[in-house]
Amino acid sequence: MNDCPEAVRLGAYHDGELPPADCRRLEEHLLDCPACAAEMARLRRLSGLLAGARPAEAPAAVMVRLHRSADQQPRLAGVLRLAETFAAIAAMVLLASVIWLLELPAARQASAQTAAWEAVAAASPDSRQGGPDQLAQVIEEVTGGGRP
Amino acid sequence: MATESGDWQAAPFDQAQGDLSKVERSDLELVRRVRKGDPSAFHGLVDRYARFLYSLAISLTSSNADAEDLVQETLAGAFRGLGSFEGRSSLKTWLARILMRQNARRHRSAGSRPAEVPLDEAVEAEDARPGVASGRPGHDRAWPSKDIDLRLDIMAAIRALRPDSREVVVLREIEGLSYDEIAEVLDVPRGTVESRLFRARRQMQQRLKEYLE
Repeated sequence: MNDCPEAVRLGAYHDGELPPADCRRLEEHLLDCPACAAEMARLRRLSGLLAGARPAEAPAAVMVRLHRSADQQPRLAGVLRLAETFAAIAAMVLLASVIWLLELPAARQASAQTAAWEAVAAASPDSRQGGPDQLAQVIEEVTGGGRP
Repeated sequence: MATESGDWQAAPFDQAQGDLSKVERSDLELVRRVRKGDPSAFHGLVDRYARFLYSLAISLTSSNADAEDLVQETLAGAFRGLGSFEGRSSLKTWLARILMRQNARRHRSAGSRPAEVPLDEAVEAEDARPGVASGRPGHDRAWPSKDIDLRLDIMAAIRALRPDSREVVVLREIEGLSYDEIAEVLDVPRGTVESRLFRARRQMQQRLKEYLE
């Protein structure tokens, strides 16, 4: 195989993808380098072979099926959009559920603390005896019983 | 559907129309009509590009049925994505890019990228492809027998390349895309296209040397 460092640019030259200045330089090089000249000839023959091996055109039956599939695209796109909408709603419901579940233990703990406080208060002898009368007394002390 | 409801957000391709060929202008007109919900416009795109896509798919897959499936998936992806087509690249390279991605996705979901295939296995696979080796009328194309051998060897040599080399060879040598177009389709720098092509052509020269001497 050709080890010349210029060989890497032969393909681009062959494909017409080199800038004009590089083309001129490479053309001069090809006159002096038999290895690159031989590789250039092989590249041309290879392209000729590959151009001749272009796959057969899509058969008519394939084209008919592709057009049939094209007819279905609007409906499929509609179904897909509907599915995406449902998926988005499901994701939102799931997110809300996760948030609710995460907050649930804290709410239960607060509720349990309140219940314990109420139980203690209910068990206190003062609260059993005092009741509404004691509350009325406190209110009267605070408001001055309506006296000036 | 997006086109019926007309709620696609129009991508700003009007600004990209400064220096376009007649075909590209006509492509953009078709895209605009598809977006507005004209069903015949999408058929226009299928008529214009399905053959190109099928040819590309045939060179990249191992069976005609796979190639057809790949083109169908590409067209479906294109229909869904036309709303975001901005006209910065040509419709042809945009479609080729979708096809390449769909092809990679198919291989990922099948468990692997298309691997480099040993040459003798690639020849057997090409030989078994319906319609390719028969040369009979009605089976792709009637090929004279010596041309069939040549074509089988060429397609087998292409299939035996590494996947990234195979893609550049097919896009350049079979479909005739420019380096810039190939870079766009494969989403790689232009220099990468050049180096992959260099490597691929060296391998092809080795594998097809009996035809090149």
